[in-house]
Amino acid sequence: MNEKKIYPWYFMTGAVLLFLMLFLIPSMMGIFYSFTDWNRYDDNVNFVGLKNFQKVFSGNSNYLLFIKNTLAFTVISTFVKTVLALALAILFTEKIKLANLHRAIAFAPQVMSMLVVGLVFKAMLHPSTGFLNIFLRAIGLEALTRDWLGSIDTAFGTIICVDVWKGVGYGMVIFIAGLQAIPKEYYEAAEIDGAGFWAKVGNVMIPFLLPTITVNIVLSISYGLRVFDIVYVLTNGGPGYATDVMNTVVFSEFSSGNYAMGSTVASLLALLTLAVSIAITRTANRKEVY
Amino acid sequence: MRRKTALVLTTLLIGIACASAGCGASGGEKEAAGADSAGTKNAEAEDTAAQDTGEEDTKKKNITLTFGSHQSGLPSSGIVQQIAEEYEEKTGVRIDFQITPDAQWKDVLTTKISAGEAPDIFCSDSDPVALEDQLKPTLNCIPLTDEEWVSRIDPSVIPAVSVGEDVYAITFPGYKIYWYYYNKEIFENLGLTAPTNYEEFKHVCQTIKDAGIIPIYEAVQDGWHQQLPFYELGGYYNQLHEGLYDKLNNNEMKLTDIPEALTVLQQLKEFQQSGFYGEDFMSNSTSGDYKAIADGTYAMTLEGFGWEQSLAEQYPEMEGKIGIFTMPWADAQCIGTNPASNAYFISATSEYAEEAKEFFRYLATPEVLQQRLEGDPECIALCWPEIAPQYPQSYVDYLDSISSGTVMQAAVKYVGANWMDTGKDIAAMFADAMTPEEVLQSISDRRDEQALLMGDENWK
Repeated sequence: MNEKKIYPWYFMTGAVLLFLMLFLIPSMMGIFYSFTDWNRYDDNVNFVGLKNFQKVFSGNSNYLLFIKNTLAFTVISTFVKTVLALALAILFTEKIKLANLHRAIAFAPQVMSMLVVGLVFKAMLHPSTGFLNIFLRAIGLEALTRDWLGSIDTAFGTIICVDVWKGVGYGMVIFIAGLQAIPKEYYEAAEIDGAGFWAKVGNVMIPFLLPTITVNIVLSISYGLRVFDIVYVLTNGGPGYATDVMNTVVFSEFSSGNYAMGSTVASLLALLTLAVSIAITRTANRKEVY
Repeated sequence: MRRKTALVLTTLLIGIACASAGCGASGGEKEAAGADSAGTKNAEAEDTAAQDTGEEDTKKKNITLTFGSHQSGLPSSGIVQQIAEEYEEKTGVRIDFQITPDAQWKDVLTTKISAGEAPDIFCSDSDPVALEDQLKPTLNCIPLTDEEWVSRIDPSVIPAVSVGEDVYAITFPGYKIYWYYYNKEIFENLGLTAPTNYEEFKHVCQTIKDAGIIPIYEAVQDGWHQQLPFYELGGYYNQLHEGLYDKLNNNEMKLTDIPEALTVLQQLKEFQQSGFYGEDFMSNSTSGDYKAIADGTYAMTLEGFGWEQSLAEQYPEMEGKIGIFTMPWADAQCIGTNPASNAYFISATSEYAEEAKEFFRYLATPEVLQQRLEGDPECIALCWPEIAPQYPQSYVDYLDSISSGTVMQAAVKYVGANWMDTGKDIAAMFADAMTPEEVLQSISDRRDEQALLMGDENWK
């Protein structure tokens, strides 16, 4: 190997320093604080070992419910968003009229402020004055009306639906880019071999789209695990604690001054996100077809 | 090439020289013209003065004080914003109101304070027992002790905005009372009278429900309303158990040791299960109760002083049609009074602390205080003795006929900090995710946790 072609190590010191200062050190400090009793009311920070983690996993508190909610939100929203985004992308890359307009409409919710989305949907989903229930009553489907955000049975599902509505356009755009990068010759060859629509999807489109699917899934999962704003604006974790997720709890712990507990939950979330992202990327990379 | 460069440079130099000469000539002409007459000189001096004032105005107008508040922190009539606009016209200092929904304000404010990004002025609840624990005003706020207006506030309110000897906030509303307002017409039509104990309350609600009217407007969505019965009856608990507040503050008793507290929670649950709150109560917000009562969909609502007057302002046909009774949960017949209310603090990190103090001085002038009272139908008294309250005689008579006691959140430590969490617990109880016993235990445990976090000696 020609050693002259290898850049000297100190070329990366700037990047490494920035990475250390902006990412690694703050993350490590967060993890460090989760082993302490750091709080707003006491200037001393004492080491408490695994006490905070024990509290999370003790089963006497709601923390396990919040972890379960976070995972459920992540899995369901990722699955629904990915499938819908792919379906929309396929639909809008076919030769249909006003394809760009359709794409823009599907993408539009993505650029809306989450606060606006929250206020609009809260009004639309009110059990007696909201558009949805009024519409259902008008078409004779009163039996389907619900207190969408106020009932423990429907609040979580409703949040996921709103999140899918808002986020599906983003995935769709990534899928469209992926679909347009697939050479047409492969479809033509498959057609000559007698392949129908589903055969083309299964044998040409999906294998070529695997990297794009991986990107979409990783993005959706990391968003799902870190979800906060949509829950905060729609239910603030309610009714009761039914829709609380890890990040709403982190926010709540920090605002009540219990910084150590907030750091503990945030550290767990960071580790979870990291582990899941690495696992998915590795699995998907093994299956990539070129 | 060199010639070209030299030509370009020469042209540039000539251009610059011409421009300078032109400017100089014009200035010189002005000076010459000015020297011709003293009158013109005076005019020029006035111009300069005007320019200076203009510059000062511009400087002033560049000051914007941020004012963070929750929705309930400012009168819904918009009188404070109106006063701020008038203040801006007079001084050029603009007040930028940043209003956050009630349910999120406490979290937002404490997070902003922790991050050193608090607004110049912020609204928070005053607290006679734990202001320092709640806000740490000694670190986070500017002391206002030396302000002239401090001596004009009702002395009984001062502890709620003070830490030790220092005053940290300005506050306006008089003491708060929550009670049930009811539609007199509905009661009369159904032959009902205001209930004085729980069984009567249940009977009243059942009769109203049977008549196709929803008995009580409850609003869980805001997060702060459903826990009112639990805490507002603190004065009643204190009457039943001698020295209760002291024992709670000294950790000699727990909230779980108060049987009536559990009774209240059980009765709230019973009301919800009986359908006395209707079906939409989990998605209702408190601001919706005006319309709900005015159009006769609901018969009663739990609200504070001034609600009736505000209703009459919005729905004039409702004037004189509203009655009041105190909360009869657990057979209580005791009015809960709360000397603490919303107060405005100045952030210690504010660049414009002096301007904020000046704004407070303006708010505390007798004319502005009177304007505030008259411009806010929800407020019928200020904690400023120089401003005469506007209590209706019916309130005075009712208050004279019944005992009263300080509400729990104004007398017991580590209660106010858990207010919103208690609301979540009770919402969970309504959603069948917690039992009343679990709710009470949770409230008590959280209080213990808070005390330990704060290093309270009585909890060690």
